[in-house]
Amino acid sequence: MSNQKKDILYGLYNDEEYLLKAVDHANAEGIEITEVFTPFPVHGLDPKLGFAESRLHITGFVYGMLGTLTAFLFMTWVFTRDWPIIFGGKPYFSAPAFIPITFELTVLFAAVGMVVTFYIICGLGPGVTIPTLDDRITDDKFCIAFDVTNAEASFTDKLKGFFSQTGAEEVNTKNI
Amino acid sequence: MDQFTITGNQRNVLFGFMGLGLLCMIITFFGDDMFHTRFWTNYLHNSVFFTGIALMSLFILSAFTTALAGWHTLIKRIWEAYSMFLIPGFILMAVVVIATVGHMHHLYHWTDASEVANDPVLNGKSGFLNLTWFSAGTIIIMGIWIFFAWKMRQLSLDEDKNGDASYGHHRKIRIYSAAFLPIAGFSSAAVIWLWIMSIDAHWYSTLFAWYTGASWFVAAMASTIVLIAYLKGKGYLQNVTQEHLHDLGKYLFAFSIFWTYLWFSQYMLIWYGNVGEETVYFQERQENYPVLFYGNLLLNFIAPFFVLMRNDTKRKYGTMVFASVVVFFGHWWDFFQMIKPGARLTAMHAMEHHGDEGAHHGAEHGAELAGHTEAAMHAMPFEMGFTIPGLLELGTMLGFLALFIYVILNQLSKAPLTPKNDPYLEESLHHHVELHGEEAH
Repeated sequence: MSNQKKDILYGLYNDEEYLLKAVDHANAEGIEITEVFTPFPVHGLDPKLGFAESRLHITGFVYGMLGTLTAFLFMTWVFTRDWPIIFGGKPYFSAPAFIPITFELTVLFAAVGMVVTFYIICGLGPGVTIPTLDDRITDDKFCIAFDVTNAEASFTDKLKGFFSQTGAEEVNTKNI
Repeated sequence: MDQFTITGNQRNVLFGFMGLGLLCMIITFFGDDMFHTRFWTNYLHNSVFFTGIALMSLFILSAFTTALAGWHTLIKRIWEAYSMFLIPGFILMAVVVIATVGHMHHLYHWTDASEVANDPVLNGKSGFLNLTWFSAGTIIIMGIWIFFAWKMRQLSLDEDKNGDASYGHHRKIRIYSAAFLPIAGFSSAAVIWLWIMSIDAHWYSTLFAWYTGASWFVAAMASTIVLIAYLKGKGYLQNVTQEHLHDLGKYLFAFSIFWTYLWFSQYMLIWYGNVGEETVYFQERQENYPVLFYGNLLLNFIAPFFVLMRNDTKRKYGTMVFASVVVFFGHWWDFFQMIKPGARLTAMHAMEHHGDEGAHHGAEHGAELAGHTEAAMHAMPFEMGFTIPGLLELGTMLGFLALFIYVILNQLSKAPLTPKNDPYLEESLHHHVELHGEEAH
């Protein structure tokens, strides 16, 4: 999130198989990958990069439960305390009639809550522009990126060697 | 190990349990009321339950084949073996048909001609609820199921030997599968109405067939998971991985929720509509059978929902087997809950009727007797076998389960567990669902 611009050296691959092999190669050589960009989720990539499993789904459960409680308790309060009305001769506290709305609010809270949480984690929001390395990484290219700000030439050469060895289609540098 | 063989030990255990089941049924028969209601409800309950699992396995195979699914190819032999239980299931149901036509039990109120004549509701339904439909419907529909099961099984076995790169066998299986789907959809509803819903002869629900079918489906998935865990423990099915287990777990989870959705849809509409002839079904169960009624939801919704919600529990054999056993028992419990209360009321009604006629009591005494029966019906004693499954019910269930497993293991031993020449075999071998998991090689 800092305003400091970085020099990024990145290579583009045509296929996720080459990408996965390249990541394996980097791990074996002890080269630390800064970031990987793919147009779609690649199976088995996360553990290779050493990412822990996302905890977003736990927040989903918590938001869902919150929705369940909100809906059920709110309806109970309205129909038994605040404004009791008899519907179709049913008792004030009619749990079966509350279930559909409880279900809807559970889904709503879980979905909206997870989206908002995800945006906050990623630093996304209205008016935020994220610089991209290459537009094609959202289309058909798989990208491995290294931060080479203030890096020595020997290190950059080593990375370029790594890219040509692992079959990268293109290697570019960009200051973003 | 690709060729399954039944060991002598397995055979002994299974025959032991079948003997136990038979013994329980004999004890039930002799300690029963004059219509042998407990015996016949137990027999019907288990026959319908296990026959339905066999039907649903064939349905699952047909649905997957039609949808061009490939992941299940490694375990398709298990469902093929399951579908072969339709043949013993046919014999089991034929006994029910013979006993119904021969008036050997009093499960179905509509079989009593004198009752139907004086009952406008039953009279109105007599175009469908009659012995011709019951017997011919059961035999013809099950015959069609067996034809499809047999045909698909034979094609699949022949594919192993004579299959080639043109995949002619698979194409034929696909045609049979696509044809079977609508047939299974409509015919299963018809037999569910005849076999189960007609026990509560006055009552009907358009959702009932779906709800019962979902119950069968979940039970079929649950038993598949346990069987796979067992076979893997014995060293078979080594190519079946956690990835396949994960998908089976998703089916178990999703269809448990689907079952709950249908159960609740049926319940809420009847509760909300509040029409006496519809609510009587739930009134009876909620007031007089609370353990059955609420236990049903606990076993079939609350338990699988919370156990199977997390990703990782669907990938562990321990939790999956635990959830499957709970849910399998839960759906057996669900069928108990569908069958017993209605059959008990019918039997009590018939006994009352019988008592009136046989004893030639005065009208006063007859009314008193009726009052007693009424009181007995609505008191809530823990009557084993009716308000809650008793030991004899569990023993009978184990007997049927042993028969079911024996038939399946016997079928599994007739062909290699891994199908050869199936166009989707490679896909199944490399099946990989978990984004975070290790790359499958």
